[in-house]
Amino acid sequence: MRIGVFICHCGSNIGGTVDCAEVAKRAAAMPDVVYATDPMYTCAEPGQAAIEEAIHTHALDGVVVASCSPRMHEPTFRRTVERAGLNPFMFEMANIREHVSWIGKDVELNTHKATELVGMAVEKLRRNVPLHSQEFPVIKRVLVIGGGVAGIQAALDCADGGLDVVLVEREATIGGKMAKLDKTFPTVDCSACILGPKMVDCAQHPKITLYAQSEVEDIGGYVGNFQVKIKKRATYVDWHKCTGCGTCMEKCPKKDVPDRFNEGVAPTKAITIAFPQAIPKKAVINPDYCRQLTQGKCGVCAKVCPTKAIQYDMVDEIVTEEVGAIVAATGYDLVDWHVYQEYGGGRYPDVITSLAYERLMNASGPTGGHIVRPSDGREPKTIVFVQCVGSRDPSIGRPGCSGFCCMYTAKQAILTKEHIPDSKSYVFYMDIRAAGKMYDEFTRRAMEEYGTDYIRGRVSMIYPDGQGQLTVLGMDTLLGQQIEIKADLVVLAVGIEASHGAKELAEKLRISYDSAGFFLESHVKLKPVETNTAGVFVAGVCQGTKDIPASVAQGSACAAKVLGLLAKDTLSSNPQIASVNTLRCVVCGKCVQTCPFGAIKQVEERGRPQIRVIETMCQGCGLCTSTCPQGAIQLAHATDNQILAEVNALCQM
Amino acid sequence: MSDVTTKELRIVGFLCNWCSYGGADTAGVARAKQPTDLRIIRVPCSGRVDPLFIVRALFLGADGVLVSGCHPRDCHYSTGNFYARRRLEVLKQFLPILGIDSRRFEYTWVSASEGQRWQHVVTTFTEQIHSLGAAPKFMDVEPKEFKLGARVSTPILPLGAGQDQPLKELKTAIKEALPKLEVVIGWQQGRDPLHAVPLFMRKAEDVDKLIWGPCNVHNVATYLREYQGHKVGLVLKACDARSVIELLQENLASREDLTLFSLPCQGTFDYGRVEQCIGRYTQLSDVQFTQSAATVMVDGTSKTLPYAEYMQSKCLRCTSRLPKLVDISFGTDPTEDAKDARESAESLPPELALVESLSLEERMAFWRASMERCIRCGACRNSCPMCICRDHCISDTRDPHFMTQADTFLEKLFFQVIHALHLAGRCTECGECQRSCPLGIPILALRQKLNRIISELFAGYQAGSDPSQVPPLLCYAVEEPKIKEREW
Repeated sequence: MRIGVFICHCGSNIGGTVDCAEVAKRAAAMPDVVYATDPMYTCAEPGQAAIEEAIHTHALDGVVVASCSPRMHEPTFRRTVERAGLNPFMFEMANIREHVSWIGKDVELNTHKATELVGMAVEKLRRNVPLHSQEFPVIKRVLVIGGGVAGIQAALDCADGGLDVVLVEREATIGGKMAKLDKTFPTVDCSACILGPKMVDCAQHPKITLYAQSEVEDIGGYVGNFQVKIKKRATYVDWHKCTGCGTCMEKCPKKDVPDRFNEGVAPTKAITIAFPQAIPKKAVINPDYCRQLTQGKCGVCAKVCPTKAIQYDMVDEIVTEEVGAIVAATGYDLVDWHVYQEYGGGRYPDVITSLAYERLMNASGPTGGHIVRPSDGREPKTIVFVQCVGSRDPSIGRPGCSGFCCMYTAKQAILTKEHIPDSKSYVFYMDIRAAGKMYDEFTRRAMEEYGTDYIRGRVSMIYPDGQGQLTVLGMDTLLGQQIEIKADLVVLAVGIEASHGAKELAEKLRISYDSAGFFLESHVKLKPVETNTAGVFVAGVCQGTKDIPASVAQGSACAAKVLGLLAKDTLSSNPQIASVNTLRCVVCGKCVQTCPFGAIKQVEERGRPQIRVIETMCQGCGLCTSTCPQGAIQLAHATDNQILAEVNALCQM
Repeated sequence: MSDVTTKELRIVGFLCNWCSYGGADTAGVARAKQPTDLRIIRVPCSGRVDPLFIVRALFLGADGVLVSGCHPRDCHYSTGNFYARRRLEVLKQFLPILGIDSRRFEYTWVSASEGQRWQHVVTTFTEQIHSLGAAPKFMDVEPKEFKLGARVSTPILPLGAGQDQPLKELKTAIKEALPKLEVVIGWQQGRDPLHAVPLFMRKAEDVDKLIWGPCNVHNVATYLREYQGHKVGLVLKACDARSVIELLQENLASREDLTLFSLPCQGTFDYGRVEQCIGRYTQLSDVQFTQSAATVMVDGTSKTLPYAEYMQSKCLRCTSRLPKLVDISFGTDPTEDAKDARESAESLPPELALVESLSLEERMAFWRASMERCIRCGACRNSCPMCICRDHCISDTRDPHFMTQADTFLEKLFFQVIHALHLAGRCTECGECQRSCPLGIPILALRQKLNRIISELFAGYQAGSDPSQVPPLLCYAVEEPKIKEREW
């Protein structure tokens, strides 16, 4: 074999703490290495051209690049060697940046370590073989999970691009968190006015199938060929008949049902239509509260329904859909702020979340847009906004910033002044994070035009003063003094985490998530909407905190990715899959038993049992290879011999 | 070799591509300073890490090995790390029996976002290895023999005597069943009345050669793999039946093909001890099995072999004298009378007790001395009923090339580790590997240790107890009550 080794300086990123020329010199003495050099930037155009040239000049049949993480540039260099006529798998990478030059400053130690990593890569490469992909057909449909603004955007863009879209929404209506908002920053547009038409488009689009009140139960298959089981939860109302007239809701005698859509601001009925612009505008019975369903007597809604749509005996239904790609856009939920006992832990009715405050301000909300105190219905005159409740707080395991609270708090302060001109608002903040277009100008308006008092500091305690008001104790860290405010209403900007159930969904999708439950993208900068599972994309806040324009942008980005992926009639399979050496296999079936994907089957061949890998289902984990006692099933590109070569190289150098 | 290696120790890391390798990248991007000793091998999944890679690295001189994967429940391949967790925990607890400090191997979980945690893991593990110092090398340890301790002499039940009638009934039953079976496997007299050899009964007259008694040492279940898919009868001791059950558990035999015969077993000879007593001889005759001993005429001298002294140690600790799985049996189950045996079953078998009584360094010396005697004949493998690979053993191939052909004690010990780890959760401790070893190397200790680790980790699991159970290393649990996560 003729191997070429390229030790990248990466400017000073590697060259600063690794003697790249020395590593190249030592590499030149390694077995089968016929050419070794140390370019400045290997991934740049001239760097890649130099690899191609070296392949031709020195008749190389394998290339090692020692540079950054293979998670970064392995695909880049595989394409490079492929352009020069090599099989892309006749290439190995040694990670001497993230794993060497960036984590230690000792040049001698780093150079030694880099050399050993290169030696390991050379030994691995010596055992590489060319691998070839296979083509398989794709299903030109996409599943979008979550009907918030990000999911709506992804669904509409995909549908407009010609794909059939299956949109699954857990709640009875699409719209997500944005549908709950009154106005949006920094333009103070009516949220329903900009979202509503998109929701209607979704419902009317001939290429979108909408499953509301539904959840993803199970996901099987692989990119291009997913099988999705969707659970349609019982609504107890035949939606084909329901016209959304609302008579049932009006007549329902059960009046004390907690209203999740309205964030508990006011109770609702046991049969509801979430809000006037709901899509689909269909009634749903809450089985936990409905008298007919819990006690077996009532039946009022069935009597009054003009289309006889009520079906008390409805049960959950499972439907199966086949899709080629999946977009997860499951959004967020609020952190459980009740852990903050110093803020009352939920005991004081006039300490509310900002999302509940949105419902109070919203003209289609339970108060018709009049801001009133939940305790006594009086109009509040002094309102305190507290930022970062459950954000930037390592003590409750939420060290991150929730991103958009600074902005909506400024918006809420402005709107409060417009609703109640003689009111006074205070905002306790840690830092004001207003980095978007026109955002800083907006927060300044809240302060300068609307007279909101911004106090830099945290609130230490909120308690009722006994005379109907709340005492807010805080600290002004700029003035260095304690602050005490008598407030009529306290609005907490509660931090966010991934929506409840996101982790379970991540497991079904086989994607990763972080400590707050947010889904992990494939690369923070270069692959922001891809995940590490091929064919699964993420949009909106489910990936991490972001505001509406960013969520919409990601929805469109996902659609672009999905349209690109499904534009082809076939996809090529990853050749890094397991294969069986039937001469060694004794058909003990241990691989069949442990394969996480059911990708290994026992089949009859000429009357004899044999083990076979289903190439499109194999994901390349290699569990079978480490399970097989004979070593008869080997994962391509991570075979026993390749890994043993690496072990030997490291331990015998 | 550069002189810097004197202060660095050799630490090998196996990191899964999706979580931990990403976590190490994240730490690098954050410029999180770390010790330089660790060299990372990228694997697709922690489930790809064959425990043998780790033993190989430690045998080749690694001072520490670290495996890191995705957090449980967060595996990119959904369940790979659940299998890894079981295998790696078993390995970690197994290493000390070889003389390797278990702190030299750790496994943990780091996600791609946990750069800080990775920094902490690398730093802590590297410090741990430095505090242990360079790993002692087998090559540097002086070989040292250690003798097995005196065995517990347990009163043993009358044996041989009283089985004549049941044996007659058994022979009749086999003759009746034979037309429907291809073969029935049992024992016949070997070169003299003190030695038996396996008997393959195909015709009625073969059945008359069948014997039952303390000479029937061979585990006839070992032959079962050769007859997969054929109608076979087996005459089983209770311990042999466990091997049959384990093969059924692994779907390597099908119950409808098997007809299982048995008589109550009261133990078989430990021929190592028997040969010590009677020595080399030219003629052996007149063997009498009495209630408590066998008397034998050897070259004109009468020798007595009291059962309590000359049984295999597994028989002294046996708790079930009739198989758990049997179709046709005669005679009464003496298990009820064997209560004292049951008590001693809790005690450590002598081979394991010996190794466990040694320090880590003495264990290395012990294994070196033991394996230097090994002649690589392969009898241990060929006699093992669970060695299903047969002609495709990974020790006999270069693809995969786990073992070299070098005739060193370390390669031979590595073969024993391969055998033991391939048997993990499957070994019924029939003891055939050790019994068949012509050098009498106490290799059973490795399997005994693994069985105790697995029983402790997986709710008292014993291989070959229940045909419906899945062997514990071929399945997983989302929550592992007995596997503690590393604090770091």
